[in-house]
Amino acid sequence: MVNNNEVLLKVDHLCQYFRMGRKDLKAVDDVSFEIRKGEAFGLVGESGCGKTTTGRSIIKLYDITSGNVYFKGKRIGAGTRSYKDAIKRAKKDLKEKKITEEAYKTILEENRKLIREAKTNNALVDKEYAASLVAELEKEYAPKLAAAQEDPEKFKQLRREYKNKLRVAKKSKLITQIQMIFQDPIASLDPRMTVRDIIAEGLVIKGIKDKEYLNEKVYQILETVGLVREHADRYPHEFSGGQRQRIGIARAVVMEPEMIIADEPVSALDVSIQAQVINLLNDLRTKLGLTILFIAHDLSVVKYFSDRIGVMYFGKMVELAPSDELFKNPMHPYTKSLLSAIPLPDPVYEKQRTRVTYNPLAEHDYSVNKPSFREIAPGHFVHCNDEEEAKYRAMLK
Amino acid sequence: MNKEIKLSVNDLKISFRTDGGKVQAVRDISFNLYKGETLAIVGESGSGKSVTSKAIMGISAGNSIHEGGEILYDGQDLTRIPEEEMHKLRGDKIAMIFQDPLSSLNPIMRIGKQITEAMLLKNEANRKEGRETFNKTLEILSQTMKEALAENPNTGFSAEDVDKNIKTFDNLNIQSIKLENSYNEARTAAEELVAIVKDVLFLAEKKQKVDAVAQLKLVERKLEAINDKYFVGSYAETISGHIAAVKNARKAEKAKVTLLDSVKKVFSSGAAGKDVSEETVAALEQVQKTAEEMLAQPAYDFLGVDYYLEKNPGVDLSAMGPIEANKLTNDYLEKDFLGDFIKLTEIAVRYSFNKTQENKKKALEVLAEGAKFFQAGEFAANQAKETAKKLTDSVKAAIDPLAVIKDNVAYTFGDALGREVDNYFFYLKNNPKEEERFAKQTAKREKLLAKGKKVDWKVVPKSVIEPERQIETIVSIINRVSAKFQADIENAGSFDAGKRCEELIAFFKSKASQVVYKLTKPIAKEKAIKLMEEVGIPEARIRFRQYPFEFSGGMRQRIVIAIALSANPDILICDEPTTALDVTIQAQILELINKLKKEHNLSIIFITHDLGVVANMADRIAVMYAGKIVEYGTAEDIFYNPQHPYTWALLSSMPDLDTNEKLDAIPGTPPNMIYPPVGDAFAERNKYALEIDFEMQPPMFEVSPTHYAATWLLHPNAPKVEIPKIITERIKRMEERGGSNGE
Repeated sequence: MVNNNEVLLKVDHLCQYFRMGRKDLKAVDDVSFEIRKGEAFGLVGESGCGKTTTGRSIIKLYDITSGNVYFKGKRIGAGTRSYKDAIKRAKKDLKEKKITEEAYKTILEENRKLIREAKTNNALVDKEYAASLVAELEKEYAPKLAAAQEDPEKFKQLRREYKNKLRVAKKSKLITQIQMIFQDPIASLDPRMTVRDIIAEGLVIKGIKDKEYLNEKVYQILETVGLVREHADRYPHEFSGGQRQRIGIARAVVMEPEMIIADEPVSALDVSIQAQVINLLNDLRTKLGLTILFIAHDLSVVKYFSDRIGVMYFGKMVELAPSDELFKNPMHPYTKSLLSAIPLPDPVYEKQRTRVTYNPLAEHDYSVNKPSFREIAPGHFVHCNDEEEAKYRAMLK
Repeated sequence: MNKEIKLSVNDLKISFRTDGGKVQAVRDISFNLYKGETLAIVGESGSGKSVTSKAIMGISAGNSIHEGGEILYDGQDLTRIPEEEMHKLRGDKIAMIFQDPLSSLNPIMRIGKQITEAMLLKNEANRKEGRETFNKTLEILSQTMKEALAENPNTGFSAEDVDKNIKTFDNLNIQSIKLENSYNEARTAAEELVAIVKDVLFLAEKKQKVDAVAQLKLVERKLEAINDKYFVGSYAETISGHIAAVKNARKAEKAKVTLLDSVKKVFSSGAAGKDVSEETVAALEQVQKTAEEMLAQPAYDFLGVDYYLEKNPGVDLSAMGPIEANKLTNDYLEKDFLGDFIKLTEIAVRYSFNKTQENKKKALEVLAEGAKFFQAGEFAANQAKETAKKLTDSVKAAIDPLAVIKDNVAYTFGDALGREVDNYFFYLKNNPKEEERFAKQTAKREKLLAKGKKVDWKVVPKSVIEPERQIETIVSIINRVSAKFQADIENAGSFDAGKRCEELIAFFKSKASQVVYKLTKPIAKEKAIKLMEEVGIPEARIRFRQYPFEFSGGMRQRIVIAIALSANPDILICDEPTTALDVTIQAQILELINKLKKEHNLSIIFITHDLGVVANMADRIAVMYAGKIVEYGTAEDIFYNPQHPYTWALLSSMPDLDTNEKLDAIPGTPPNMIYPPVGDAFAERNKYALEIDFEMQPPMFEVSPTHYAATWLLHPNAPKVEIPKIITERIKRMEERGGSNGE
């Protein structure tokens, strides 16, 4: 399905820690992956493994601890922890006289600069993005305005249009190009807002004031997601679970995003409704050319929906591969255990199925050789050390 | 199928009263649950799965109306029995696991308390109830005996004999209960002793801090409490030896602590004696060994022992082992007393049986008359009620009071008849009103439509039942009892008074022992820990004292299962137990439920909307839609040979690992059950719907003896329809994988 190699989102050594008393809870620990344009990328793992946190860190619902997130080649999120750690380490080394004063100073300078950059980065990205939009608008409207100089009526109208667009453009943020669909359609919709308000809210915040334009947009998007115009004035409680999830999708799609993060969009739904929502997401994907990060724990659904799948375990990405490849040649023992737990609608097979259990302490010996994320086969990455890498490679042959 | 039926649901109908009207949640569903099988109920939310299970548990919501049908368990109709009776079943016999483990546990109570709480409360209630039932049944028995003797005077017994025997039996039971009580107390003390010793040894092994002196004192006291001669028997010397050993150990520990304390005082640092000395551990291990050995002994049969002792005062049976003593005393009891008692009971049982048989014959005539009366129609209210009362009385007289297992049909006859008669008069009064309202609303709607306005409301269908139909229902109830009685009369030859007698005496004994069995907190704790280990919770002894928030989702669900199992139920209802859990944990919990099912021989009703889960668990599957069962059969039937379009839709709407084509989503949403469709409820969302589907509800068509489906497509005149490609292909794949072999 995907044949271009343009990387839309790049997650680079993302870490997201939470304070838990004195210790840090490493919800996401050194996760890297790329999502190409038009691709559906699945993220699976058991509850508490950091799938949702990864999604939320990308869309900047959390301030990331360390690592970088690039969207369309621009850095939209950056953490400072790794630089601070580097300074700390250098200080210690200096104390133990492992490095010279001079080397320490350069390290200090370098990392301080990086920290400063990371901190100012967020504001800069949006500013740059807004500036580029403004420049585009100027380019588009300057000749038009010049041409309409003679006709004052037309000039006035054009000018108003230009001003409106300019206002929106100045406020634009790059991050609104990524939108999120949440798991629970009941909890994620404000019960006191009508569907129209819910869907239009993002546009209003963006600075669009034209009521008619908003209405038209809302109606159009409602029809896109399989609802009807009349639904716009109702409240969320008047809808069934599947329809509510459609509203959630409409709210995300109305912003005309390039990418959607779908955080367990079907887990709270009935089987029959699940199929409706999955089909809808698939249709939207082809129609609007969306890129989707699909987070779920139901492997059959993820397999059906995604082009590539990343498997997470306790904050680490343990395996990443194209979905067919992953199901055909699972390498990491955790992936194997996960795959062996999928229930299938086939009683005879089910009664023979044996589940593989995964015990990280018994499976891996990382005391000497530290593991990292390596490419075993083209496009197939596994978290392993040298010894295991050799073993996995042998398995492929 | 000659398996034992555990639970059977017949024509169950439940609705809910709401502001918008009456929601018909469950409409005429019937199924049987066999012993040791898993029945899965599958359907969308709102299809009535949970409503059914809640009705079985007797925990329906406040606004629910039970409109008809019955749920039979152990000869009782669960929809009709009073709440007090339900108390005895709920949890004890039928247990339930809910969807969300977090909301079914109390967040501010320790896990241990939550598991033992029900055990302790139930135990207390059981003892009280046992005593009451015992007395009541004994009274009935004595009365019947007297009546029987009055009828046939030449049995060699007199009324005084009856009084004497009953008194002796009652007395015997009470005495033996007292004897057993003291024995049980000693036994309990021993069980507690084991629990305490285990705790201390566990902590000692983990190098945790133990207040050794206090614990040893407790052990000593418990050892002294084991003083019942029947329990101690030949262990008397060993026990006194243990008491001495523990005393010594305590002294040694005390000396150690004081020394350490003085040291602590000087240096004002360091903790007091942490570890238990090896000598103490050794002594405790010995104690535990002896106590466990004693507990492993078979129990005495105190009914016999007591009688023997009363007749032969001064004999000491305690030195004799329980097996020999039981044999001796039981023989004696049989010869001396029970022989007479059993003979008398047999006379009573036979008399009572014959009397009720006579009554049944009489009742049959009365019932036939009653049926005629109702069939004729045209009766006044008081007249009908009188007849109903007459019928009820005659049926009641035909119930054998000495039968341990009550005849359910006759048992619930009175209530059922009374209600239906009431309903008849209600409809007689209500029907014209309904007709009027319906006509009025339809006219209003049509007027609005004629004006070209948009009408977004429907007319509530009239709830009219023709009086003739109601009379049919009444007559069918009467006929059912008649048929049952007829069958009973025909089978009278196979009646075995001796067997009935044995049953009765066993019943008395079980009730008496129910009174005696006392559960104390330490024993309950021990039981709870055993259960927790059984459901796969590691380090149960530590976990016992934790709060629910300290457990992960899967562990919490295990706790809930442990609580459900604590009363040793027959039937376990699992209401979406894994929906809130993720794949690996789900697989673990399913495996656990399967394991426990085999170990405890449970019958399980498994409710879910995920067909994938069901394939592993279920022996049989019922697919529900809009309050009806649309298809049921064995798991193989449903997955390899689905017949109903709704089952097709369910199967094709979920992807499996090889699915690449577009999913067949079911369009639309389930119908509003305030206005249930006239025809097949699924017709509106069904692309295979025939015209008749919109007009008439399909009956259950038989596909094979185990497989039924309610769809007009199975009618011989129906056009041939292809099963969706996505399913046929999947079945083909499954066959290739070596799955189905076509059966």
